[in-house]
Amino acid sequence: MLYLSQAIGKPVRDQNGEPIGKVADLIVAVGERYPPVTGLVISTNRRKIFLPWSSVASLDADGARIRTRTIDIGKFRQRPNEILLKQDLMDKQIVDIDGRRIVRVNDLSLDIVEGALRLVAVDVGAAGLMRRLGVEGPFRILARNVGRRVPERYIDWEDVDPLESSIASVKLRVPHAGLAELHPADLASIIDQLTPKDRAGILASLDDEAVADAMEEMDPDTQVEVLEDLLPERAADILEEMSPDDAADLVADLSEQARQEIFALMQKNEAEEVQELLRYPEESAGAIMTTEFIAIPATLTAAQAIERLRELEPDAETIYYVYVVDDDGRLVGVLSLRDLIVAQPDASIAEVMIKEPVAVGVMSNQDDVAQVVARYNLLAVPVVDEDGQLEGIVTVDDAMDAILPTAWKKRLPRLFARNAG
Amino acid sequence: MTDATGQPTTTGTIVPAIRRHLGRRARFAAVLAVLGPGIVSGFADNDAGGITTYSLAGARFGYELLWVLLVTQIALFVTQEIGARIGLATGQGLTGLIRERFGVRWAAFAALTMLIANLGSTVSEFAGISAALSLFNVPVPLSALLAAIAVITLIGRGSFNRVQYAFVGIGVIVSGAYIVSAILAQPDWGLALNSLVIPHGSFDGVYMLAVVGTVGTTITPWGQSFIQAFVVDKRLRSEDIAAERLDVLIGVFITNVIAAFILVACAATLWAAGQTDISSAADAAHALGPLAGNVASVVFAIGILAASLLGLGVVPLASAYTACEAFGWELGVDWRWREAPAFYGLLAFFIGFAALFMLIPGLPLIQVMFGAQVINGLLLPIVLVFVMLLAGDKRLMGELVSGRINLTLGWLVTVVLVIMSLLLVATSFAS
Repeated sequence: MLYLSQAIGKPVRDQNGEPIGKVADLIVAVGERYPPVTGLVISTNRRKIFLPWSSVASLDADGARIRTRTIDIGKFRQRPNEILLKQDLMDKQIVDIDGRRIVRVNDLSLDIVEGALRLVAVDVGAAGLMRRLGVEGPFRILARNVGRRVPERYIDWEDVDPLESSIASVKLRVPHAGLAELHPADLASIIDQLTPKDRAGILASLDDEAVADAMEEMDPDTQVEVLEDLLPERAADILEEMSPDDAADLVADLSEQARQEIFALMQKNEAEEVQELLRYPEESAGAIMTTEFIAIPATLTAAQAIERLRELEPDAETIYYVYVVDDDGRLVGVLSLRDLIVAQPDASIAEVMIKEPVAVGVMSNQDDVAQVVARYNLLAVPVVDEDGQLEGIVTVDDAMDAILPTAWKKRLPRLFARNAG
Repeated sequence: MTDATGQPTTTGTIVPAIRRHLGRRARFAAVLAVLGPGIVSGFADNDAGGITTYSLAGARFGYELLWVLLVTQIALFVTQEIGARIGLATGQGLTGLIRERFGVRWAAFAALTMLIANLGSTVSEFAGISAALSLFNVPVPLSALLAAIAVITLIGRGSFNRVQYAFVGIGVIVSGAYIVSAILAQPDWGLALNSLVIPHGSFDGVYMLAVVGTVGTTITPWGQSFIQAFVVDKRLRSEDIAAERLDVLIGVFITNVIAAFILVACAATLWAAGQTDISSAADAAHALGPLAGNVASVVFAIGILAASLLGLGVVPLASAYTACEAFGWELGVDWRWREAPAFYGLLAFFIGFAALFMLIPGLPLIQVMFGAQVINGLLLPIVLVFVMLLAGDKRLMGELVSGRINLTLGWLVTVVLVIMSLLLVATSFAS
């Protein structure tokens, strides 16, 4: 095992052991799980030269030794998938995907894996910092004498996502594959910690759905910040992916002009849904309801209803309740998924549904909505207009959000994230 | 950011993004929302050390040093504007950038020296609080304890906005206090105005030292680190530059107006009455009583108290920002204690250590303040050179890179300050 800091500045010797320069940097090719070292940058007293790895006999804490008799002193040209370890990674900020936070690189750890010297881990612990400052030895002695362990912390290269603004040497498109796999709440918390530049880079690499999911987990201020940094076209795409109630909350914070421009770019029906929701006053049930729910006519049989559910499911926010409406769209009944499944396949919905379900008006106060949800232990409550037409549903999380103090709202997702991890 | 062909670059910093070409808030509200870091940073420059320096300068030289404040104002604006600009462009604090650009050793050096100097400054903030409160017969241990609890509670429990409002609020009290004491002192306004605009040079050693001290107490390494970090912590960005510049301008202006009022208050009373030999701001407050009435004395003391409290909030905060940036730990007042233990640990250590230090009987306070001043004087040139190198780096700064005028002014100020700092350090060792 070799630390980058141990190799940098060490002499490079030719076959006869004569020093010809110093190790200035190491080049690795990214893309593989552990990027292999592909070359050395050597600083001689006149200039920097590049040495392909095939010409290097050995590299360790004492320096490098050259294998070939002659070396090509051509100028160093970087290939697109290559990064310079010292220049691009040392001291830079990276995303620790495993720990879901932003850390600074103290040192880089290299090791022989599958027959090649590769970058295997990032040192973000105190030991690495002390090594860089040249006081690791004394620090360890001190630590031993006071009976403490030196805090060492490494992140496997697999769990690392370099930030684009750090990698200055190449226009490398970082895939951010690891980030895309995170839970939206964790992704949201990482995006929150990024500088605007890095944020833009990462958002560009993620698909609309991942961004939309993460957006729904952010606190409102960050949401608006992130949205405002996007091109209107991308913002429109992402809003389409969000559930209409969250999209409406977000759009409500934009200027009238920005709002109109984004609506023009969204799909017509999605835009209309959001606009619809925006009409309701801030404290009303209408403002927090979602228009994605499942409504079926009472004339279906249970089997037909289940079939309909399969078709509709992808869009709806919750399918645990199936609402039953008449020809005019008025709410006449509700049944739970459980009711539907245990019913005889040919039973008519009108027979198995619960008639006169609990509902709230679109203009109801959000506190009252929460009360209703709590009293009847609902996962969602239907929202109807003056004529009794079903307009939307308020899910339990949105109902609770509306009445919980802000501090709690902020704390909850983080608490859950920690327990989950 | 666009490349040569005018196409958005791949890293895509906020191209014609929604914010840019439409704007979410009304312009006035947008400007108001940005204000804060510059004002707080400005207010904090008039901390315990600052008020002591201005009081002594006023008592010793009367109105003569007022012109220095005007010049300092320009220099402070230039350095603070550049600090804020770097924060806006990069979203990173000063020592973090120093580490990325100049290596971990420089970053560690800057962070550690700043910590040592700031520890000294924190002790002097406590000294200011105790001295002011002892005028009201509050015992030193009690005042130190109360101040420590107040500041730790504020920063530890507050959100960014709450911390910022508290800082601004305290700053307003300071400002009010000194405007009132200056008016009560019934100064010779004509002479004051005259001295403000017409430089009065002298090669007298003590005079020179007072000039350098006045500049040195206003433009500090921690102030430079603080403005940048606070801008980042507030999550401001490139397009807030115009409003942020206004913020810095207001902050710098108020700072120096207040400094001028302090100087005038002391000049009109102590200097006019021939009591030129005071050794602290509290002395000034005390001596003000018989000359300008007890109200003036009390108000002056309240000013010292509030200014020291603000310094006690800002200096440890700047230190925590600095160290966490350099070593890569979580930082920011919006985090919780458990999420950013190093940040809050440092804050608590700073305040706790300084408070305990204060309680040592027979503490050579003057020497501590003096030591902090010397370290600051040595560090300032290095910090400013780094700041200027960063500000001129096109790749780092993007469209906010300093233009030719900005760079020239910045380097000019840097060179002048380097010379003054060296002078200060040299005279400190000589005396």
